[in-house]
Amino acid sequence: MSLDLDRIASQVEKMTDHIDAGNEERQKHLARAMSVLCDNSLNIDDLKNKIVSGKISWMPAEPVENLSNRYRPEQPPENFAVVATDGSQIDVDRHHSTRYYLINIGSVHLEYGDSADARLESAPQLYFDKTDLVMTSPDGSNREVAIEGTLLGIKRDIEEFKHLAQMAASLKEEIPALLLADGTLIRWNLMSKDIPEFIVSEFLGKGFLKCLDDIKEISEGKNIALASYISFPRSSDVVGSIRISICPYNPVNCDKCRRDNPNGNYACGAVDGVQDKDLFLTLLDSGERSGIFISRSSIQERYGIHRIYFYYVKIEDEIARIEIPEWIARNDTLLNMSHTLILDQCRRGQGYPVALSEAHEQAVVTAADRENLQKLVEASLSEKNMEINTSAKSFSKRTRWI
Amino acid sequence: MDTEEIQRVGEVIRSATSGFTAQCYELDRFPHLGGLVKTKNIGAQIYGIVFNATTGGIDPGRKPLARGKDEVSEEALYKSSPQISKLLKSEFEALVVGYKEDNKVFQYLPPQPAPIHSFVYLCPTQEVIEFSRSFEFLYTLLNSAVTLPHEELIAAVLRNMSLVQEDKHAFLVSAGKHLATILSGDFNRLRTILERIRQ
Repeated sequence: MSLDLDRIASQVEKMTDHIDAGNEERQKHLARAMSVLCDNSLNIDDLKNKIVSGKISWMPAEPVENLSNRYRPEQPPENFAVVATDGSQIDVDRHHSTRYYLINIGSVHLEYGDSADARLESAPQLYFDKTDLVMTSPDGSNREVAIEGTLLGIKRDIEEFKHLAQMAASLKEEIPALLLADGTLIRWNLMSKDIPEFIVSEFLGKGFLKCLDDIKEISEGKNIALASYISFPRSSDVVGSIRISICPYNPVNCDKCRRDNPNGNYACGAVDGVQDKDLFLTLLDSGERSGIFISRSSIQERYGIHRIYFYYVKIEDEIARIEIPEWIARNDTLLNMSHTLILDQCRRGQGYPVALSEAHEQAVVTAADRENLQKLVEASLSEKNMEINTSAKSFSKRTRWI
Repeated sequence: MDTEEIQRVGEVIRSATSGFTAQCYELDRFPHLGGLVKTKNIGAQIYGIVFNATTGGIDPGRKPLARGKDEVSEEALYKSSPQISKLLKSEFEALVVGYKEDNKVFQYLPPQPAPIHSFVYLCPTQEVIEFSRSFEFLYTLLNSAVTLPHEELIAAVLRNMSLVQEDKHAFLVSAGKHLATILSGDFNRLRTILERIRQ
């Protein structure tokens, strides 16, 4: 049955009325937040101290410079390269007796200037060995965790970075390059209480951070920047800092504030509903970037020298969030290069980095691809006279009947 | 000259008894319309006449968009978006007009089509001369279901073939006479072709 749109139409209308009703209030909140963002008398060190010392129930950004700082892009170099990876996966089918998953990494190497060239590749890898399908706790408890769902997504992220590191190693030394990833560099999804420590250690320490170590080492002394691009960000880390700034409590104590104001009338409510992108859409001119901020996600405690910073950049009428490790954030040349080349990529890609969009095209796995892989597996099993077991539910989904 | 004559121009990606489609190895490097190309199956060399060429996106879901408004030249456009040439492919279609087996040329359809991924070559001069000793293949062209006017295709074939003949004029006269027999009841078509091969 297809979706009954007639029955949804009136609900859609209610939804748009609801959004419209909140607009005026949101504008007031945005104006209040902007007044703090652009307040040049705001002492950043005081704000930083207030953030660090407070008992806060959300994640504010740690400012590094004036909140309203903004920077124009530089002129792109004549010759440069942009390298990007993206991935997709086919998860374990629990309705099938043959357990496997697939990770497909799309990678793109674009070179601009005198030797303009492109390399577009995809690398599909099938995982079927028990050591790939299940991770066992090394503490002797024999606790096993299946790599599927969220964990497979995290494994795929790490594979994307392994490929990025490999590609970084093959870059020409003489030309500047940008390594570009899609989505956040903050592996907050590893913070879930359901994920045991040995998995976090394996995926983060020996996986993702090891890749960052490798990339840092490769880029040592070279003009190679690493950044990740988050389109249409919904984060409100900077708004979180503004909340702290307008909070009358010092030190900030959200629990105490809630107890003192049982009616829910909190001072920081003056910026409710505002997101960082609203602020920077108002503050920045097209092509400009904001100053840098530090993300205070608790997983960052494990990042060491790779602590993640971020800035916002305005691309035409859109805001993108760019995340960078500390060694890029603290290197003005590489920081500015990331801004310039990301903007240049967006210009070439109709508003979105062309390298990322092509990496996605290389990586994408369609429903037809899933079906074809399944058929290939079944054909191979059948050739070897092996039994093909699928659940009745799976059969009913694949064979639609009346 | 020799290297040019044995030039490999593509690879069969769709195959049927009556024709095949080949993908070019280089973007927009097609053989000419009406050119004689060859590929092979087991035991036979298959001859085809190029009747159509296209360049488009490799992924049928992605359509090329005009993007050179701010570029000074097409070359600059490709330099500024180097991925484009990797996302496009050029193909040409050929109509099978005969084959060669045991050193004999037959101007009718071969018993087997060309296998997928067979290489496609431009026919060297000597082979064009050898093939064009007979005009039986013109029947095949006239009765084919190609997407362009038959008169255009036949004229293009004859113009191409005439270029490698020792006596170009005599070749075209002979072809014209043959066509006059085939198209005796259709003066307008005959006239259209003759107009297009006149020197």
